[in-house]
Amino acid sequence: MILPLILALYGDPQEWELIARLQRRDPQALAEVYDLYGRLAYALVLRVVRDKAIAEDLVQETFLRVWNRAGSLDAQKGALGPWVLAIARNRAIDYLRSTEGRGRSSAVELDETEHASLYREMENGILVSDQVRRVKAAMEKLAPNQRTVVELAYFEGLSQPEMSAKMGQPLGTIKTWVRTALQSLRDELGVAVPSS
Amino acid sequence: MNCEQLREHYELFALGIAEEPERGEIREHLGQGCAVCGAGVKRALETAALLGASAPKAQPSPQLRRRILASVGSEQRGLGLAWVTALAMAALLAIAVYFGIGNRRYAADLARMRVELRDQAGVIFRLTEAFAILSGPSTTEASFGGQQPRPPQGKVFVNPSRGVLLIASNLPRTPADKIYEMWLIPKGAKPVPAGLFQSQDDGSAMHVRPGTVDIASTAAVAVTVENEAGADQPTTTPLIVAALARATP
Repeated sequence: MILPLILALYGDPQEWELIARLQRRDPQALAEVYDLYGRLAYALVLRVVRDKAIAEDLVQETFLRVWNRAGSLDAQKGALGPWVLAIARNRAIDYLRSTEGRGRSSAVELDETEHASLYREMENGILVSDQVRRVKAAMEKLAPNQRTVVELAYFEGLSQPEMSAKMGQPLGTIKTWVRTALQSLRDELGVAVPSS
Repeated sequence: MNCEQLREHYELFALGIAEEPERGEIREHLGQGCAVCGAGVKRALETAALLGASAPKAQPSPQLRRRILASVGSEQRGLGLAWVTALAMAALLAIAVYFGIGNRRYAADLARMRVELRDQAGVIFRLTEAFAILSGPSTTEASFGGQQPRPPQGKVFVNPSRGVLLIASNLPRTPADKIYEMWLIPKGAKPVPAGLFQSQDDGSAMHVRPGTVDIASTAAVAVTVENEAGADQPTTTPLIVAALARATP
């Protein structure tokens, strides 16, 4: 499973062709996208909702959305994998928020991260196993409270005030933990955010 | 705010939890094509994708792949009152939102309706594809099953740019581990799989295979019964054969 994933992701023109075929509404192309990213998307959604049946429903919804919105991706510069995972995560968080009675306004924020234009000229090979290992290692290096806030933000979609209520900590403390954790991740991953 | 002030909020924006006014400011910068914020948000989205890929490994059921392909038209399970149900679900959804979804009971009901609504979305998508084929000026059609006392009967509609639509009745119920598979049969070449579908309880079925079709080189559309995972080539005698040679434009 890993080798085809790497071959398909490392700046591969085959992925560009896959996007173009999706845009021509070739169902076989969707099958190939599922073979590449279905397992990752399912693992992510299951981590969020912790229910296999619901996770499968949400992954189905994810790929239906990929099918319907593939036209907005740039066939030669789009990054399919990160886009699919963003859609999967958003579907899962949206579900979690609806079952927990959290506000729907949050769903609008999530949708903002699905715009295909944001995935233009993104590094195609971002999801290779080495990078994933690096982020896991970076997470393990975080202090427990910092790791917790990152996980609450990513896997539960909690805002900082919601984290504050859940963890029983002042909002200022939560913001400090979040800021420190994200800075540490940025440093560990060598992600240099450009300055103005 | 300038980009320097926003840079610490890129990750929060990528996670969908940025607060105002930073969220609105980042959105505005992106809308104006700000290269600095664009690059910063992209990198934050890359980190978010890596966090997603770091979730504990899990394997979905083999059926999920088939369900997904079915939802885009490679399989059809029946239509029934899909439109009515979808409208009813939408109305219930609106009512639930109107009266507030603050307590868990409403939230759970809403979640259940959302799942049902999602299923209906796949049906509506297939209906849209079917209407596009039926209404296409270059669509040709062919009938099948008219000569026997109680065979599967029906028609296939083939549009060179939109795909193939099969409408059938009197289909026998398939065994639990079997499924119908449609084939495009080229002249002088091996059959090409064209999707899996199931019939409804009354023996009717509608199946759409979206995509382009070279009508000139296609001899017929056929249907066989196969194992539920489908087959690369037919393994049983076709239940339906609709010859396109006699198709009428």
